[in-house]
Amino acid sequence: MEVADRAIGLLLSVISLSIFTYYTFWVIILPFVDSEHFVHKYFLPQEYAILIPVYAGVVLICFLSVFIGYVMLKSKKKKA
Amino acid sequence: MKHIIKIMALLVALSAFWISLLQTSVLPESYTWLLPLYFVVSLGSYGLLMVGVGLMRFPTCPQEAFLLQEDIVEAKGFLKGKGVDVGSD
Repeated sequence: MEVADRAIGLLLSVISLSIFTYYTFWVIILPFVDSEHFVHKYFLPQEYAILIPVYAGVVLICFLSVFIGYVMLKSKKKKA
Repeated sequence: MKHIIKIMALLVALSAFWISLLQTSVLPESYTWLLPLYFVVSLGSYGLLMVGVGLMRFPTCPQEAFLLQEDIVEAKGFLKGKGVDVGSD
Protein backbone atom coordinates (compact mmCIF):
# COMPACT_ATOMS: atom_id res chain seq x y z
CA MET A 1 0.00 0.00 0.00
CA GLU A 2 2.64 2.55 0.93
CA VAL A 3 4.81 1.47 -2.00
CA ALA A 4 1.95 2.38 -4.35
CA ASP A 5 1.56 5.72 -2.56
CA ARG A 6 5.26 6.44 -2.84
CA ALA A 7 5.27 5.49 -6.52
CA ILE A 8 2.34 7.81 -7.26
CA GLY A 9 4.01 10.62 -5.27
CA LEU A 10 7.23 10.16 -7.17
CA LEU A 11 5.39 10.15 -10.48
CA LEU A 12 3.55 13.38 -9.60
CA SER A 13 6.78 15.11 -8.55
CA VAL A 14 8.58 14.02 -11.72
CA ILE A 15 5.67 15.24 -13.88
CA SER A 16 5.57 18.61 -12.11
CA LEU A 17 9.35 19.14 -12.35
CA SER A 18 9.43 18.20 -16.02
CA ILE A 19 6.51 20.54 -16.80
CA PHE A 20 8.27 23.34 -14.93
CA THR A 21 11.65 22.92 -16.64
CA TYR A 22 10.12 22.46 -20.09
CA TYR A 23 7.97 25.56 -19.72
CA THR A 24 10.84 27.62 -18.28
CA PHE A 25 13.04 26.60 -21.18
CA TRP A 26 10.30 27.33 -23.68
CA VAL A 27 9.38 30.81 -22.45
CA ILE A 28 12.60 32.20 -21.00
CA ILE A 29 15.65 30.58 -22.54
CA LEU A 30 14.54 29.83 -26.09
CA PRO A 31 14.11 33.46 -27.28
CA PHE A 32 17.80 34.00 -26.55
CA VAL A 33 18.94 31.05 -28.67
CA ASP A 34 19.66 31.59 -32.39
CA SER A 35 16.88 30.35 -34.61
CA GLU A 36 19.28 27.97 -36.37
CA HIS A 37 20.21 25.99 -33.23
CA PHE A 38 19.14 22.33 -33.21
CA VAL A 39 17.39 22.56 -29.82
CA HIS A 40 14.46 24.41 -31.42
CA LYS A 41 13.46 21.05 -32.92
CA TYR A 42 12.39 19.77 -29.49
CA PHE A 43 10.06 22.66 -28.75
CA LEU A 44 6.81 23.57 -30.48
CA PRO A 45 6.44 27.07 -31.97
CA GLN A 46 6.17 29.83 -29.40
CA GLU A 47 2.45 30.49 -29.91
CA TYR A 48 1.71 27.09 -28.37
CA ALA A 49 3.46 28.22 -25.16
CA ILE A 50 0.51 30.55 -24.67
CA LEU A 51 -2.25 28.45 -26.21
CA ILE A 52 -1.68 25.24 -24.27
CA PRO A 53 -1.88 26.66 -20.68
CA VAL A 54 -4.84 28.90 -21.60
CA TYR A 55 -6.63 25.98 -23.21
CA ALA A 56 -5.92 23.74 -20.21
CA GLY A 57 -7.25 26.44 -17.87
CA VAL A 58 -10.44 26.84 -19.88
CA VAL A 59 -10.96 23.05 -19.92
CA LEU A 60 -10.43 22.94 -16.16
CA ILE A 61 -12.97 25.71 -15.52
CA CYS A 62 -15.51 24.02 -17.81
CA PHE A 63 -15.03 20.70 -16.04
CA LEU A 64 -15.43 22.34 -12.62
CA SER A 65 -18.64 24.14 -13.61
CA VAL A 66 -20.11 20.99 -15.20
CA PHE A 67 -19.28 19.03 -12.05
CA ILE A 68 -20.82 21.66 -9.75
CA GLY A 69 -23.95 21.85 -11.92
CA TYR A 70 -24.28 18.07 -11.95
CA VAL A 71 -23.99 17.85 -8.15
CA MET A 72 -26.52 20.65 -7.68
CA LEU A 73 -29.01 18.98 -10.05
CA LYS A 74 -28.60 15.65 -8.31
CA SER A 75 -29.20 17.14 -4.84
CA LYS A 76 -32.27 19.03 -6.09
CA LYS A 77 -33.72 15.88 -7.63
CA LYS A 78 -33.18 13.93 -4.42
CA LYS A 79 -34.98 16.58 -2.34
CA ALA A 80 -38.00 16.71 -4.70
CA MET B 1 -14.63 39.58 4.70
CA LYS B 2 -11.19 40.88 5.72
CA HIS B 3 -9.39 37.98 4.11
CA ILE B 4 -10.80 38.58 0.65
CA ILE B 5 -9.80 42.24 0.91
CA LYS B 6 -6.23 41.15 1.61
CA ILE B 7 -6.28 38.82 -1.39
CA MET B 8 -7.70 41.50 -3.70
CA ALA B 9 -5.13 44.00 -2.45
CA LEU B 10 -2.39 41.52 -3.27
CA LEU B 11 -3.84 40.98 -6.75
CA VAL B 12 -4.10 44.73 -7.38
CA ALA B 13 -0.50 45.24 -6.22
CA LEU B 14 0.73 42.46 -8.51
CA SER B 15 -1.13 43.86 -11.53
CA ALA B 16 0.17 47.35 -10.80
CA PHE B 17 3.70 45.97 -10.70
CA TRP B 18 3.12 44.15 -13.97
CA ILE B 19 1.70 47.23 -15.72
CA SER B 20 4.60 49.34 -14.46
CA LEU B 21 6.99 46.71 -15.85
CA LEU B 22 5.18 47.02 -19.18
CA GLN B 23 5.39 50.80 -19.24
CA THR B 24 9.00 51.30 -18.19
CA SER B 25 10.34 48.48 -20.41
CA VAL B 26 12.88 47.11 -17.95
CA LEU B 27 12.53 43.69 -19.64
CA PRO B 28 11.80 43.15 -23.34
CA GLU B 29 8.08 43.49 -24.04
CA SER B 30 7.50 39.90 -25.15
CA TYR B 31 8.79 38.67 -21.78
CA THR B 32 6.56 41.03 -19.82
CA TRP B 33 3.46 39.84 -21.67
CA LEU B 34 4.20 36.22 -20.86
CA LEU B 35 5.18 36.77 -17.22
CA PRO B 36 1.72 36.30 -15.52
CA LEU B 37 1.04 33.12 -17.49
CA TYR B 38 4.46 31.82 -16.55
CA PHE B 39 3.79 32.49 -12.87
CA VAL B 40 0.42 30.74 -12.99
CA VAL B 41 1.95 27.67 -14.63
CA SER B 42 4.85 27.60 -12.16
CA LEU B 43 2.41 27.97 -9.21
CA GLY B 44 0.41 25.00 -10.51
CA SER B 45 3.51 22.87 -10.91
CA TYR B 46 4.70 23.89 -7.42
CA GLY B 47 1.38 22.75 -5.95
CA LEU B 48 1.66 19.44 -7.78
CA LEU B 49 5.21 19.04 -6.49
CA MET B 50 4.09 19.64 -2.88
CA VAL B 51 1.31 17.05 -3.29
CA GLY B 52 3.77 14.52 -4.67
CA VAL B 53 6.34 15.15 -1.94
CA GLY B 54 3.67 14.92 0.77
CA LEU B 55 2.46 11.61 -0.68
CA MET B 56 6.00 10.26 -0.65
CA ARG B 57 6.70 11.28 2.95
CA PHE B 58 3.35 10.16 4.38
CA PRO B 59 3.96 8.24 7.68
CA THR B 60 1.94 5.04 8.03
CA CYS B 61 2.72 3.90 11.65
CA PRO B 62 2.35 0.11 11.23
CA GLN B 63 2.61 -0.61 14.98
CA GLU B 64 -0.27 1.74 15.78
CA ALA B 65 -2.32 0.16 13.00
CA PHE B 66 -1.79 -3.29 14.52
CA LEU B 67 -2.68 -2.05 18.04
CA LEU B 68 -5.78 -0.41 16.58
CA GLN B 69 -6.91 -3.68 15.03
CA GLU B 70 -6.43 -5.42 18.39
CA ASP B 71 -8.47 -2.68 20.09
CA ILE B 72 -11.23 -3.14 17.53
CA VAL B 73 -11.42 -6.89 18.15
CA GLU B 74 -11.48 -6.36 21.92
CA ALA B 75 -14.22 -3.70 21.64
CA LYS B 76 -16.32 -5.90 19.40
CA GLY B 77 -16.09 -8.81 21.83
CA PHE B 78 -16.98 -6.59 24.78
CA LEU B 79 -20.00 -5.04 23.05
CA LYS B 80 -21.25 -8.36 21.76
CA GLY B 81 -21.09 -9.70 25.33
CA LYS B 82 -23.25 -6.77 26.43
CA GLY B 83 -25.79 -7.53 23.72
CA VAL B 84 -25.07 -4.67 21.28
CA ASP B 85 -25.23 -5.43 17.57
CA VAL B 86 -21.71 -4.73 16.24
CA GLY B 87 -22.46 -5.20 12.55
CA SER B 88 -21.21 -7.66 9.96
CA ASP B 89 -17.70 -9.11 9.94
